[in-house]
Amino acid sequence: MIPHKPVLLLVDDEERILRSLAMLFRGQYQLHTTTDAREALEIIGRTQVQVIVSDQKMPVMRGADLLREVKERSPNTMRILLTGYSELDAIVASVNEGEIFRYVNKPWDAAELRSTVDQAAQIAATLFAAPAAETAPVTAARAVIAAEMVPLSPSSAEGILVIEDDAEVFRTVQGIVGPSQPVHWARNLDQAFDHLEKYPVGVIVSELVVQGESLTAALKLLKAQYPEVVTIVMTPFQDTGVLISLINQGQIYRLLPKPARPGPLGMNIASALRHHRMLKSSPGLRSRHAVEKIRQPEELSVATRVMGFLGRLRGRAAT
Amino acid sequence: MSPEASQPAAAAPAPAADLASLRRSVAPITPATTVQEVADIIQRREYAGLLCLPVVDRGVPLGTVSRNQLTDIFMLRFGRELYGNRPVAEVMSRKPLLVADDLSLEQAAQYVAANIGSPISEDFLITREGRYSGMGVVIDLLGAMQARVAQNAQQLSVAYGQLQSSQAALVQSEKMASLGQMVAGVAHEINTPLGYVRNNVEMVQGVFAQMRELLGEHEKLVHMLTDEAAEEQALSQLLFKLSAETHDLHDSRLLEDTEALFGDTLFGVDTIKDLVINLRNFSRLDAAKVAEVSLNDCLDQTLVIANNVLKNKVEVIKRYGEIPRVACSPSQINQVLLNIMSNAAQAIEHDQGRLLLKTEADGGWVRVSIQDNGKGIAQEHLQKVFDPFFTTKPVGQGTGLGLSISYQIVQAHGGTIQVASVLGKGTRFVISLPLTSQPTMQAPDAARAA
Repeated sequence: MIPHKPVLLLVDDEERILRSLAMLFRGQYQLHTTTDAREALEIIGRTQVQVIVSDQKMPVMRGADLLREVKERSPNTMRILLTGYSELDAIVASVNEGEIFRYVNKPWDAAELRSTVDQAAQIAATLFAAPAAETAPVTAARAVIAAEMVPLSPSSAEGILVIEDDAEVFRTVQGIVGPSQPVHWARNLDQAFDHLEKYPVGVIVSELVVQGESLTAALKLLKAQYPEVVTIVMTPFQDTGVLISLINQGQIYRLLPKPARPGPLGMNIASALRHHRMLKSSPGLRSRHAVEKIRQPEELSVATRVMGFLGRLRGRAAT
Repeated sequence: MSPEASQPAAAAPAPAADLASLRRSVAPITPATTVQEVADIIQRREYAGLLCLPVVDRGVPLGTVSRNQLTDIFMLRFGRELYGNRPVAEVMSRKPLLVADDLSLEQAAQYVAANIGSPISEDFLITREGRYSGMGVVIDLLGAMQARVAQNAQQLSVAYGQLQSSQAALVQSEKMASLGQMVAGVAHEINTPLGYVRNNVEMVQGVFAQMRELLGEHEKLVHMLTDEAAEEQALSQLLFKLSAETHDLHDSRLLEDTEALFGDTLFGVDTIKDLVINLRNFSRLDAAKVAEVSLNDCLDQTLVIANNVLKNKVEVIKRYGEIPRVACSPSQINQVLLNIMSNAAQAIEHDQGRLLLKTEADGGWVRVSIQDNGKGIAQEHLQKVFDPFFTTKPVGQGTGLGLSISYQIVQAHGGTIQVASVLGKGTRFVISLPLTSQPTMQAPDAARAA
């Protein structure tokens, strides 16, 4: 039996982009292309689509909004944003609402894009094959309430690790979460390692810089090693390049501006906890958050340090 | 009677810093001194610079007696006989100008100016805690004030210089901000064609490698066909393989589809070329500062640059008239047009955005009208839109200099810029440039820097 080719949906308001991409993926995929976001949603409605690649800047609907709709309607469809301009609000929306797999800049590298889409298609195939309940997503339609933060049993009380300079943020998180869940505070990378070593951590709420040290590489590596740990980045930081790399290499779950308002922060922590429990209970789902390899050379030294810590952890587990 | 003490009057210091430095130690006369004695005393050299003498009783200032008064007395018939032996207290002025020595020069000058008689015939007494301390000369006070004014003027001119350079820095930063915005916008415009051009070239590279391999096999075939020693079986295998591959190639339409990409690729490269040309035309970095240009062209060039903020949001309606060229600095005029267009795009917060661009010529003027159907400008803000640093945008989003610089640029061209707005309906800017006058190249610094 010939296996079905995965379905790839390409959306861009420039037809030449569509033609070019269609050529790139010809043969390996069943292709749908459209310049109209509404038509894209119709296609999603009637066909099982493994991967969607969408432009950001389009008439009628922004790419991030389209991908949010796709997430609601077909959560297993892997979502990739292909954009010519890195706007901060596009990045934030694509993380928080679209929960996208990759953020790819134009012009792209053909071979790289092909391998990204191939990987996404494989993951989607696993997700579509898994039992429905396992992949049930947290959607806006099923708003999460604070009560859901209460652990299923005392033993399942996963910790929340706050990596921050500011004690106020730690107290805010503590206030939101209440006594049901332990909240740990790390003021630097070593303390964070220490907490991860000692306690089960489900959700990390992190700044991008503590005590002058960048955390981006560490956050990326932690996601690579612990795909079930869910990261919320809360920062006033606005470097689009760094934020994009946190999507692609760190699969951060939420990107919140500072100062955080307790309401939305609470919603997001609750949602992150749920997401963590889901990832923990269904390993197949973790592949949805597979990360890219770190490429920034300046992050590699931190990477070595994190790997050292991870090695220690493993050593302990083995003895 | 003689003066209580006799000290020579100190020479007035040139630029006095305060009242104390104006004080002359003048020995006062007592109220009992006779008019005749006073007339003699006042002739002494040490009193030469004084218009009057202080009359003081045990430290308490009582009045003054001036040269004028003495002259008047002695000019009277029998004046000397009648008044000569009387105590000076009877003829002195009982309202002396009293200035406490802790007053500032300005306060002292103000008091003296308000109370001195005309014509000026007296000086003033300087007191400390109500007691006589010395004399102040009006002319010294005037000199000190003049020095003070000169000093202030110099400080003002330094401050003005600093203000000017910081304004120039701000204007520069506004220019850099709008340049940055423009570059980011154009970069985005370029990334789209660059995206598919790059992708296409990368794919053609793959196809090229495939074709080279195929060609190699065909060469091999030719070689085998001409080689008598070639094995027949190997030959037929190769022939079979090549015909299958050629068949697949035709089936997949790889060459046709790849060929089709060339059209798109060239189109993309031309799009990039146009964008770059436009960028150059827009900034005019390589052209003459002043040129005869059509404002219709300026509008079109600016539209390309502003496309990023207008696209997908605003419908642009052009109603260009037949207008003569005007001598202007195109890069400056483009900056004005871009500023107004980006403001318009920002003011439109709905999806039925329209931007109407009109040009016309009448009399000696060419007019450009840029009208949007955005949220409009409140009446109380309308008068301030051209003021430097006035902005209604959130902190960090506008310097408040855009329109102020636009105003200066247009003014430097001898033109006018006008604004009309209805809240909730839209805003219209009209720029009028004179046909005849050359732009004055003594544009304000701001306009030049911009």
